[in-house]
Amino acid sequence: MTEGGLTKKRPGSGSADNPFDSFAGSGPADNPYASVLAENPPEADTLGLYVHVPFCTKRCGYCSFNTAPLEEGAMARYLEALHREIDLLGALPWAARVRLATVFVGGGTPSLLAAEDLAAALDGIRARFDVGADAEITVECNPESVTRQKLEGYRAAGVNRLSLGVQSLDDSILPRLGRLHDARGARAAFEAAREAGCANLSVDLMYGLPGLDLDGWTRAVDTVLDWGPDHLSAYGLTLDAGSLWGAAGIEGLPAEQEQIDQYWRLAHAAAAHGLEHYEISNYARPRFRSRHNQIYWHAAEYLAAGPGACGFLGRVRYANVKATPRYCEALADGALPIASAEQLTPRQRLAERLILGLRTADGVPTAWLEPRLDGERDLRRRIETWRAQALLVDTGDRIRLTEAGFLLSDALFVELL
Amino acid sequence: MVLSRIRNFSIVAHIDHGKSTLADRLLALTGTMDAKKAVDQVLDSMDLERERGITIKAHTVRLMYRARDGQEYTLNLIDTPGHVDFSYEVSRALAACEGAVLIIDAAQGIEAQTLANFYLASDANLAIIPVVNKIDLPAADVEGTRAQITETLELDGGDALAISAKHGTGVPEVLEAIVARIPPPQGDPDASLKALVFDSFYDSYQGVVVYVRLTDGRVRPGTRILLMSNGRSYDVQQVGVFSPDMRPVEELSAGQVGYITASMKRVADAKVGETITETARPTAVPFPGYRDAKPMVFAGLYSIDDTDYEALRDALEKLRLNDPAFTYEPETSLALGYGFRCGFLGMLHMEIVQERLEREFDLSLIVTAPSVQYKVRTTAGEVLDIDNPSKLPTPDRIEQMDEPYVTSSVLVPTEFMTAIYKLAQEKRGEHRSLEYHGKRVHIRFDFPLAEIVVDFYDRLKSISKGYASFDYELSEFRPSDLVKLDILLNGDPVDALSSIVHRDKAYEKGKALVEKLRAVIPRQLFEVAIQAAIGSRVIARETVKAMGKNVTAKCYGGDITRKRKLLERQKEGKKRMKQVGKVEVPQEAFLSVLKS
Repeated sequence: MTEGGLTKKRPGSGSADNPFDSFAGSGPADNPYASVLAENPPEADTLGLYVHVPFCTKRCGYCSFNTAPLEEGAMARYLEALHREIDLLGALPWAARVRLATVFVGGGTPSLLAAEDLAAALDGIRARFDVGADAEITVECNPESVTRQKLEGYRAAGVNRLSLGVQSLDDSILPRLGRLHDARGARAAFEAAREAGCANLSVDLMYGLPGLDLDGWTRAVDTVLDWGPDHLSAYGLTLDAGSLWGAAGIEGLPAEQEQIDQYWRLAHAAAAHGLEHYEISNYARPRFRSRHNQIYWHAAEYLAAGPGACGFLGRVRYANVKATPRYCEALADGALPIASAEQLTPRQRLAERLILGLRTADGVPTAWLEPRLDGERDLRRRIETWRAQALLVDTGDRIRLTEAGFLLSDALFVELL
Repeated sequence: MVLSRIRNFSIVAHIDHGKSTLADRLLALTGTMDAKKAVDQVLDSMDLERERGITIKAHTVRLMYRARDGQEYTLNLIDTPGHVDFSYEVSRALAACEGAVLIIDAAQGIEAQTLANFYLASDANLAIIPVVNKIDLPAADVEGTRAQITETLELDGGDALAISAKHGTGVPEVLEAIVARIPPPQGDPDASLKALVFDSFYDSYQGVVVYVRLTDGRVRPGTRILLMSNGRSYDVQQVGVFSPDMRPVEELSAGQVGYITASMKRVADAKVGETITETARPTAVPFPGYRDAKPMVFAGLYSIDDTDYEALRDALEKLRLNDPAFTYEPETSLALGYGFRCGFLGMLHMEIVQERLEREFDLSLIVTAPSVQYKVRTTAGEVLDIDNPSKLPTPDRIEQMDEPYVTSSVLVPTEFMTAIYKLAQEKRGEHRSLEYHGKRVHIRFDFPLAEIVVDFYDRLKSISKGYASFDYELSEFRPSDLVKLDILLNGDPVDALSSIVHRDKAYEKGKALVEKLRAVIPRQLFEVAIQAAIGSRVIARETVKAMGKNVTAKCYGGDITRKRKLLERQKEGKKRMKQVGKVEVPQEAFLSVLKS
């Protein structure tokens, strides 16, 4: 971090490490990041693509994602901009040689998209990119905004994975979260997805919620597991700075031990149902891991589209303009709407690969790690300490965190930087 | 220059009564500098001083003033430090004056520091000009304030000037009063040189710049001067005045205030209170009251990052050039590694040094629990000076321990007497005398120095709503029943957290300390036991529970940068912690030892 900080103080110098910082002083007129994607071809031939759909009918209290109100005409302007963006991405000098292995349409509330609009967007992507026949194409859905008919339309558009934002099955908690569905609606949406032919269906749940006790959580977990999802994401509530609750606070949060109990209850129940705990917050039936999310955790490369979406190419992490109107304006001007880019130093890459890899049950391969620990005495000592504390295990060819290690992962990750 | 047209004066006031504002006005009015520039309150030139609103170093400036009598006068304004840690420096600065402007806030009236400053100025036999300031405030009570001046200070309240330094109202009258009411200096320019050092600072080009007040004789470049306390001689390079920047002049003579440079390498070569005379014909008697500024409080200074040891040593060396009152020598701590044992005048002085090291030299520091210096007589008959608890011999080798005592004065409105006596009792104070001054009492106590160096002054201020003033002087060493209180983290003693305490207070102190530490030591991956012990006997224990959960569920739509930045910010926070054994101890833990 200090390297970047120092370069920033002296624009134009030390640009070998971080060429983008030298643009720091220039105005918005000539976007310094306009050529970032062209100049940083991906190292791999297969990429993921994340598409952000920012709109929500209502913003949830815990949410710190980039969202936008669904105003009159906003969706149409957004879709037009998205098409332009995909065209620009497809026109990049290296675009023809890469294949998209995954497309993840996240939000916001992507299920606010009409089936034909989604189909048009996916067609645009396929027109510009080689999208593998076996590509994983996911759409995040909110229960209240889906019908069997719509989901059939999604499926016809090529969507083969759905992620359903259930979060809770407690009708007194759901409205507090700002969710617009109830427990019955969640169940109905799950069934609609199955009836629409979705064979790779994920459910999102949250624990550590205000008003949620262990009994309530156990009921929700058992119910959802009985539905038989192929994949389950369970997020412990974190009060992010960018969320309403993070700013205003929220009462009724369960005590720490209660949250820990909820975490373990899920871990045990999921295991009993044959779901593998393959990432800190994710469980899957065998062969149903999220391929797109695994791209993130393997520190592999992916493209971004949509307001505030983040991408990673070569050694460069970049992000689009967050505000939806500005995103649309930039594309109306025919420019890629990139707002920031950062070239990772070798040390940062190492840290990221460790931090992301250790989020997964696969951990990181010892053969990859060992040579990189040369000259990193502190790092080696830390890993040793954690092994002694049973927070980490060495399986011979990989190191990975234990369940206990997952629970404390942020405290460990800080030490890896 | 004719002595009759020189006036040497200070401005003294309770905090926030408008000292700096009036000084700026005087500068502007005499054309010493324009009003716009004066906004920055030039006299408080150190960043630290401006931020804290206290003057740490004395400053001086020469104003040229054409009075209503048509004559031009030289007015030397000598500003004074405003904290009990520096009362010696204040007394020396006042000793360089013939008069003082005593400012009193028209809305607040006389306050504790008004009184304390008034006594200091009276003791120095200064002519005092009472000034009622802030008459523009809606709550101003000029007549009431005048009445207070008459009753409490026994000055003629009718003589007090009513002004608004902020708006400039009445300020010309202050200048006239300085000319009319403060006597001109006396002295014989043809006698042997006799000059009082009232401040000095180190300049990297000219060496030490010494602030002087001449009472007799003259000094000019080339004069060979003699420093009477240490017998050293130097050739004067330059003499000059502050107007407000340093301006060389041909000569300084009896009655004048200015500066001397003489290629002195260290500020310690010309300490505050020193008498400067001529080597060729020295004056007979030096100024009374000179004393070596002796450190009263000792603490270890360690850089959080071990690799900064050299940088810390260089920084201490540079600071010491400018601040002879502080001392340092290398020491080692099992817990903290290599560092320095430093001596300070008091806690404020310690904080200032720490802050300057961190700010000016970009160091991140740990300060260990401050200690006073004890005299320990061993069974082998040696007498040791112990200023570091970890250097204390084991109890079986100690014959007797003596601790330093002070005689102190507390001036406080009568309504706070009960609270003051309670505090004094808690601090092992012994009552000596009590005198009533109108609505105020003057109480004298003897205290063990160790009890008052740390938070006594703050406590006193808080229980008296800011009205009490306090002063103390080292008196003697007395035998005392003292023990070493150790702190253990997960069973290992942390030498930097040890302290020497009175046996009767050890239990209470140990309990308070482990509670404090439990509050400041963050949860770690494992449980941390915090124990207080005397010898092998544990007297208090607290536990910091192991961290239960610290996990971010989601990486937002592939926004890895955001996640990494969050972690990086946490890591920055951790940089302020010192690894002691396996336990990460934050900087403030070491400070909490002293505030319990």
